[in-house]
Amino acid sequence: MTKTKWVGTDVTRIDAKDKVCGTLEYMSDLSFPNMIYGAVLRSKYPHALIKKIDTKRAKELDGVVTVLTHEDVPGLNGFGIAIPDQPVLCRDKVRYMGDAIALVGAESKEIAEQALELIEVEYEPLPIVDDPEEAMLDTSPLVHETGNIHNHVKIERGDVEAAFNEAYVVVENTYFTPRQMHAFLEPESGVATIDDDKNITIWCGGQHPYRDQLQVARALGMNPRKIRIINTPAGGAFGGKDEITVQIYLALLVLHTDRPAKIVLSREESVIAGMKRHPMKIYMKTAAAADGTILANEVRVVSDTGAYASLGGPVIGFAIEHSCGAYRVENVRLEGFCVYTNNGVAGAFRGFGANQVTFAVETQVDMIAEKLGMDRLEIRKKNGLRKGDIAALGHKMEASVGLLRTLEAAENSRLWQLREELKAKPGAPHKKRGIGIACSFQGCGLGKGLPDYGAATIELLPNGQFAVGVSCPEIGQGNTTAFVQIAADYIRCSIDDIVMLSGDTGHTLDSGTSTASRSVYTGGNALKLAAGNLHSAISTLAAEILSVPESDIDIEYGSAVSKSCPEKTVSFKKIAELMVERGKTIKGEGYFIWPVSETELEGYVGIPHLLYSYITQIALVEVNTLTGETEVLEAVSVPDPGKAINPQGVEGQSEGGVVMGMGYALTEDTIIEEGITLTRNFSTYILPTSLDMPCEIETIIAEELEPSGPFGAKGIGEAVCVPISPAITNAIHDACGVWMKQIPATPERVYTALKSKEVP
Amino acid sequence: MKKVKAEQKKLISFTVNGDDVKVEISADTRLIDVLRNKLNLTGTKEGCGIGECGACTVLMDGKPVNSCLVPAFQVEGSVIETVEGLDKSGELHPLQEAFVEHTAIQCGYCTPGMLMSALALLRENPKPTREEIARAISGNLCRCTGYHQIIAAIEDASAKIRLSE
Ligand code: FES
Ligand code: FES
Repeated sequence: MTKTKWVGTDVTRIDAKDKVCGTLEYMSDLSFPNMIYGAVLRSKYPHALIKKIDTKRAKELDGVVTVLTHEDVPGLNGFGIAIPDQPVLCRDKVRYMGDAIALVGAESKEIAEQALELIEVEYEPLPIVDDPEEAMLDTSPLVHETGNIHNHVKIERGDVEAAFNEAYVVVENTYFTPRQMHAFLEPESGVATIDDDKNITIWCGGQHPYRDQLQVARALGMNPRKIRIINTPAGGAFGGKDEITVQIYLALLVLHTDRPAKIVLSREESVIAGMKRHPMKIYMKTAAAADGTILANEVRVVSDTGAYASLGGPVIGFAIEHSCGAYRVENVRLEGFCVYTNNGVAGAFRGFGANQVTFAVETQVDMIAEKLGMDRLEIRKKNGLRKGDIAALGHKMEASVGLLRTLEAAENSRLWQLREELKAKPGAPHKKRGIGIACSFQGCGLGKGLPDYGAATIELLPNGQFAVGVSCPEIGQGNTTAFVQIAADYIRCSIDDIVMLSGDTGHTLDSGTSTASRSVYTGGNALKLAAGNLHSAISTLAAEILSVPESDIDIEYGSAVSKSCPEKTVSFKKIAELMVERGKTIKGEGYFIWPVSETELEGYVGIPHLLYSYITQIALVEVNTLTGETEVLEAVSVPDPGKAINPQGVEGQSEGGVVMGMGYALTEDTIIEEGITLTRNFSTYILPTSLDMPCEIETIIAEELEPSGPFGAKGIGEAVCVPISPAITNAIHDACGVWMKQIPATPERVYTALKSKEVP
Repeated sequence: MKKVKAEQKKLISFTVNGDDVKVEISADTRLIDVLRNKLNLTGTKEGCGIGECGACTVLMDGKPVNSCLVPAFQVEGSVIETVEGLDKSGELHPLQEAFVEHTAIQCGYCTPGMLMSALALLRENPKPTREEIARAISGNLCRCTGYHQIIAAIEDASAKIRLSE
């Protein structure tokens, strides 16, 4: 690998100072003169026909500037990443409580909210579809005319029946997973302006500025070039700002009023209208031989995508791809359904379907180990994927595979080594301690069949610094700092000489999404190509200055050097001066296209992947057998991110992921009953606090360098929150002998499981 | 035209980060609205509006409060400190420095509130244990970091402040 100066070191986040000073402006911090405030009228029913919408009284309210309905959407009245099935403003039907019916723009937020109450909507309530299994029946009322099954995935390999017949042990269970909420601390919000030529600029935290631009343009029936989207910074996103949130509403307001506009959702509105993680019901039957070899896996997943598709289709595909865990399994029968209901909306969320199935399969593996009297780590090592192996979907693991490295590092961790000792000393006689382990893999990038590419730009500035542009937004994960490090090492300059441009269609080329653990790999590779082109342009000028042939020029940190005569050097600063004198620009662009798996699964897009990140996580828990309460005392997290561009950043991701996965395992669930969201704020939706998190989280970075990655990097943003959840539930079993088949493992559920164990 | 209900306006005075200010408020104005909308101190964030997330934490007469829960009329005559006051001297406060060093920041949306809770703690208890730190910031939710780097930063800052005194 190339020697690096910045990559692999703990460079300070480039946005740290502004963030600790409170001077970094998030989108809701921006204001413009003459700005109006927007508010959205949401549905009163989870499922109903709209008979009439009357906005007359609202329009008459003093201070109301505009009241818009479906009639005012000039282009396509729909949005959605995969298919635009969600109306911008509903015309004849509502399918969940977050559906938007009207949009008010007023002189103040208070007036806008008051006006919402004056809009009269006549509804005809329809029967509610709230059970995904029932929704699949022919007798169910339809959420969409096209039918309630949005996507169906079915993949078979080998001979499952024969394997089940031959198997030494078979475990068969049904698992349930919750509707986790992203709970980014910054609710969806933004501002927009419009100029005299009707060019619109929208500042809104998001995850893919160019797709936002496309979706806004489509709804407005406008040329996308007239719309500029700025997505950076976002106050957290985790997939929940991948879909359109308020961008189209902002655009409609400025278009119809010619005034700047602002929309800030309240937390309650964000909870009701926003995306969630898909709740899944997972049936799994797994067979193993006496020596622990996993022989077969049969899986059936029903995923509740709520009222609209968003990325529900790809999520079920991803779940199926990951449903056999990071293991070799030759005989599989895998089936997944993504189903419409009136239960909110579900979409992309860190992990993208892997969280649910990993909980199931990692529990199955522990059950098999128990039946065989086998060590839980050994069974994982035995079946774990290695480079060149064939994975469950029949595709070859062609890229770097770090699973074994993570398992071995986990095995050597203090927590695993001292596990018996640590378990032996619970805090009280009625408390029991246990250790759990789980591992997983996480497809990086969008997967086979989906266009996945990224572009980057590097431009020499007149003062000798470099403007570096990658559009994948900064959503808190720290990718802009990683890009600065990568760019500085490819350009060969100081990180202080880089001006980073991010998440802005006006100043960066399309580098795709900040999702799918893809942005560092994509942006980094595009930067590598851009730096190469930049170097050629620099060399041309340097050759002239040094009076040597261009082929004689080498680039060192900060300057261009003659290879034959090393005392001849010229700094980037000098080159920049000459560039200005000559009226030239020196710029490099890089366009990177993702490599994909050779395996094609006919009829499916987004699966399989070529590149995966790997991870093993361990949890030490203490269960209070009188109350059923579980406390996570310590955790170990061993990610394989490829090259860790910024190890401190990877640790931060890892710790944050552990705590998010802990919330998923123990407390978090958005409760929706008959289409109505009950947990509307952080008083009832329980996020882990600083008192709940494990006192120790040890992160061990197990780098398995990926040759196709920038300096060997892959991605790690998602995997960090995945296997920790089953590590915790497996630890609960280790502590007190109950298998948790439904998460969150709330005190009630653990207590009930303990009680039913006592009564055989 | 229909009129919006007539609002009772009132003038209040207090100090923010050492400056005397006078602000016109109405009955339902909250402290966070005064800070963000009237004084343009947008460092203070709103995450939930009901006192559950701590993103809006500021100090009122030295005590951490959720500014989304404080009616503005109660602020009359009091001393308010916000994140913008931390580096007023032109230099980063040791807490800010430690947050930067430990990467106790990801999206940064919880950071201003975290810093204010930490500041109140260190004034009261210059040598807190990790448990005491965890308790002091337990009203401040962070979805990104998992809290460890934040607690480490506060611990580190407390040591540095003690050294410099
Ligand atoms: S906004 Fe005040 S506590 Fe959440
Ligand atoms: S850094 Fe994002 S919420 Fe704390």
